Amino acid sequence: MPHESFESALERLLAEQRHNRRRFVGRAGSAAFASTAFAAFLSACGGAEGQGEKSGTRTSASASHPKTAFDEVVFSNWPLYIDKKVLKDFKGETGAKVKYIEDINDNQEFFGKVRQPLERGDGIGRDLVALTDWMAGRWIRLNYVEPLDKKNIPNEANLRDNLRNVSFDRGRRFSLPWQSGMTAIGYDSKQTGGDVTSLEQFFDPKYKGKVTMLADAREAASFVLLLQGKRPDEATIDDVLKAIEFVDEQNRKGHIRKFTGNDYTGDLTRGNIAMAQAYSGDVIQLTADKPTLKFAIPEQGAVLWSDNMMIPQKPRTAYGAEVFMNYVYDPEVAAKIAAYVNYVTPVKGTQEILAKSDPKLADDPLIFPSAEDVSRLSGYPNLSVEEEQQMNEAFEQVAGA
Amino acid sequence: MTRRPLRDYLLGFWSVAALVYLFIPIAVVIAFSFNDPAGRFNLEWSGFTLEHWKHPFAVEGLGTAFKNSLLIAAISTTLAVTLGTFMALALVRYRFVGRGPTDFFVFLPLATPEVVLGAALLGLFITMGLATGFATIVIAHTMFNVSYVVVTIKARLQGMDTHLEDAAADLGANEWTAFRKVTFPLIAPGIAAAGLLAFALSVDDFVITNFTAGQTSTFPLFIYGAARQGVPPQVNVLATMLLVGVLGLMALNVLAQRRRARAEGAAVVPARAMVQPGLAQ
Amino acid sequence: MGLRRRRIVTPYLLLLPGLAWLVVFFLLPALNQLYVSLQTGNFEIGYRFDWNWSTYSDAISKYDEQFVRSLRYAGAATLLTFVISFPLAYFIAFKAGRFKNLMLLLIILPFFTSYLMRTVAWQTILADHSFVAERLRDVGLLGEDGRLLATTKAVIAGITYNFLPFMALPLYVALEKIDRRLIEAATDLYASRWQAFWRVTMPLALPGIFAGTLLTFIPAVGDFINAQILGTSRQYMIGNVIQSKFLVVTDYPAAAALSFLLMAALLLAVFAYARALGARNLEEAVV
Repeated sequence: MPHESFESALERLLAEQRHNRRRFVGRAGSAAFASTAFAAFLSACGGAEGQGEKSGTRTSASASHPKTAFDEVVFSNWPLYIDKKVLKDFKGETGAKVKYIEDINDNQEFFGKVRQPLERGDGIGRDLVALTDWMAGRWIRLNYVEPLDKKNIPNEANLRDNLRNVSFDRGRRFSLPWQSGMTAIGYDSKQTGGDVTSLEQFFDPKYKGKVTMLADAREAASFVLLLQGKRPDEATIDDVLKAIEFVDEQNRKGHIRKFTGNDYTGDLTRGNIAMAQAYSGDVIQLTADKPTLKFAIPEQGAVLWSDNMMIPQKPRTAYGAEVFMNYVYDPEVAAKIAAYVNYVTPVKGTQEILAKSDPKLADDPLIFPSAEDVSRLSGYPNLSVEEEQQMNEAFEQVAGA
Repeated sequence: MTRRPLRDYLLGFWSVAALVYLFIPIAVVIAFSFNDPAGRFNLEWSGFTLEHWKHPFAVEGLGTAFKNSLLIAAISTTLAVTLGTFMALALVRYRFVGRGPTDFFVFLPLATPEVVLGAALLGLFITMGLATGFATIVIAHTMFNVSYVVVTIKARLQGMDTHLEDAAADLGANEWTAFRKVTFPLIAPGIAAAGLLAFALSVDDFVITNFTAGQTSTFPLFIYGAARQGVPPQVNVLATMLLVGVLGLMALNVLAQRRRARAEGAAVVPARAMVQPGLAQ
Repeated sequence: MGLRRRRIVTPYLLLLPGLAWLVVFFLLPALNQLYVSLQTGNFEIGYRFDWNWSTYSDAISKYDEQFVRSLRYAGAATLLTFVISFPLAYFIAFKAGRFKNLMLLLIILPFFTSYLMRTVAWQTILADHSFVAERLRDVGLLGEDGRLLATTKAVIAGITYNFLPFMALPLYVALEKIDRRLIEAATDLYASRWQAFWRVTMPLALPGIFAGTLLTFIPAVGDFINAQILGTSRQYMIGNVIQSKFLVVTDYPAAAALSFLLMAALLLAVFAYARALGARNLEEAVV
């Protein structure tokens, strides 16, 4: 197998083609095309990240999603957030399967995973995602989501009034809450020797090394802001930064055992910690495993957040997503979900339905907070993109994430 | 009839203790595959059951992840072994300009932390605008496996006599024929070992995969996600099955080697090469 | 085209596919990291390449703690792996006889279980109220309020455990290669067993020690799983920071800068080692 030099190979090629000019031109032509394409590719390499202007001008106020048939709805959600029976019932009623993927463990982590296709204007293989308020706001700002065709979601009228006009999505053009929840203190009453009623107990030195906080800048800062008597959703960036400094101090002292994602549940169950900054529904669910676990909204208050359903750009079926949203906004279905996940449902009329089948749940203030409770609840701090970056950087130094 | 000195017993004791230490977590992993956990967390022993062994893929997403891992491993191993074997041959059997630096360059990925490799690859894919997913995982795994394969097979080649190949050349065989009929059969055990190593590394890789996976799920990625809410016992079952599978393949390789050695008669391959550690087995 | 020309060209042909793969997917990404690290911006406004060297100075000043910590942990773990592995490797090379291959197999076998599963298993073994922790409390080695998990000790122990074969195997190879007759000769020349060990065995094992140290220390510096699963943010290593910056915060320029710095620093170390011993020795010692 002789090895030719490039020149001799080219000579041979030209010689072969001499009597068929057209073919040669074609071949050279395609070579030229290939090289131009390659050159274009290379130059695209240089500035691929400069996609400042986001794709999509899908900001039409009223969307129209035709009722095309669908056989599957792909929904990315947080873990332990649904009664799987509801999915089966949905299939029974509509004939369509719900592909339910529990791959959201952290807002930023999920965003990191799907950023690239979103930036390029591609779909992410999902018809629905559920993201927390501030991340939902980011997706809406960046035009990564489809507007909702409310004609397909008549049950949207059941949305609680206090959730209708949120700052990141006035009039709920793009999102509908999946569940709401509260971040407060989950604790092992055996280790704390009684009930926990105040954030000051959380920072009591006798629990040094036996408490965990969430590895989320907003959550951690809000905890401290509440302790200091400020409403998180009215706090300035300076307040937030000072709060993070406080957390840093506590961490360096060793008071905070570690910063966690959803995995504080493991430490609570194993008895490694006495208290955790925790999510309401999680702890209620854990109580079944370990009866001494309790959840408390301290007197200083807590943060109320929602995870919001949205339709990412280029879904396979926007109509299917909307049918599903409509389905879960039926109070009967919402009651089933609430009974299972123990979070705060955004759907009106659920409490009355549960009162008939499970009065204990209907009376649980953690699932149906009273008006008085709600007054003590606040949203997350509202920050601009630059302020968000400042907050994240500061918190990164503290929690390493 | 000399008695073994105390020193030898102490060394032996230490060695056994070290080996036991190595196996403690493995024992825990295997043991908990038989556990019947009370709640979400498979952390405390609460009862023996064979349930998870009967339905190892009962957990949603685990089957897909496991399948992906095996597929990725198969593809990347094949690629890496092909590329790597040829490289190893070039590096050992030929002298050429740039051999030293190439040697060093091929060795580098082994000595680079995985986080650096993964981050760099992701950076490249982002700059090129390449979508991360199954294909990018395969690319990444092939990359680091090539280095392992080259190093493993080089060791095998270096320990080998060239007499047989020289004899083949003397008898008029050209290079390709000599490779096919003499070299390849001789290094086949080394290739098998390298392939096994590459396969195991690919199935178990977490860090680099985490960077390049996009939305694709693999077995280690699944475990990482599950670790936050409690790893289901089915994962322990699959991990144990993998372990047993690899052990089985290794045993087969050794048996094949033994049989071949007996068939070859006199030790063409020096004794030393026979006793190479697991990497070059 | 003669045989001779073919012989000259063959190695290059054999090398080409594999080498090309490594160049594109190992070298190029490394260079690309440099490129990305000099960009400014965030995901909202896009990134611009503008020779932004300040990212590097920021990275060094903000994360020097994690850098140094990574070196300390990796150093400690490397030392520990050496202490555990050397007698083990010595025993297998010199005293194990027919159990040699079996013991080597036993060293490698655990590492065919998932890295993550092994580390999570340590979480169970070292939990606050586990068998191990309780026994240590009984003996008084652990305070009443003390814990094993979520500590620096746990992280170093995890790294030590996970990198053991990377030290043990090169050590074994080097020891195994030593010509026994040299040691015999030493004792024939009236050296005591101890002297023979120090003056003959150890120096000959040196390439293995260097190789083992290299293959353990360097990957360990970049490890982050042990710190994440067995430790807390107070134990976070530079690997944790890089992982977080890339995948969670998505601050690509800073992440790339850190990653490039780490890689450059370690490559320098490898290069220095290779020069000190001769690259060939390094390779031989490894395999």
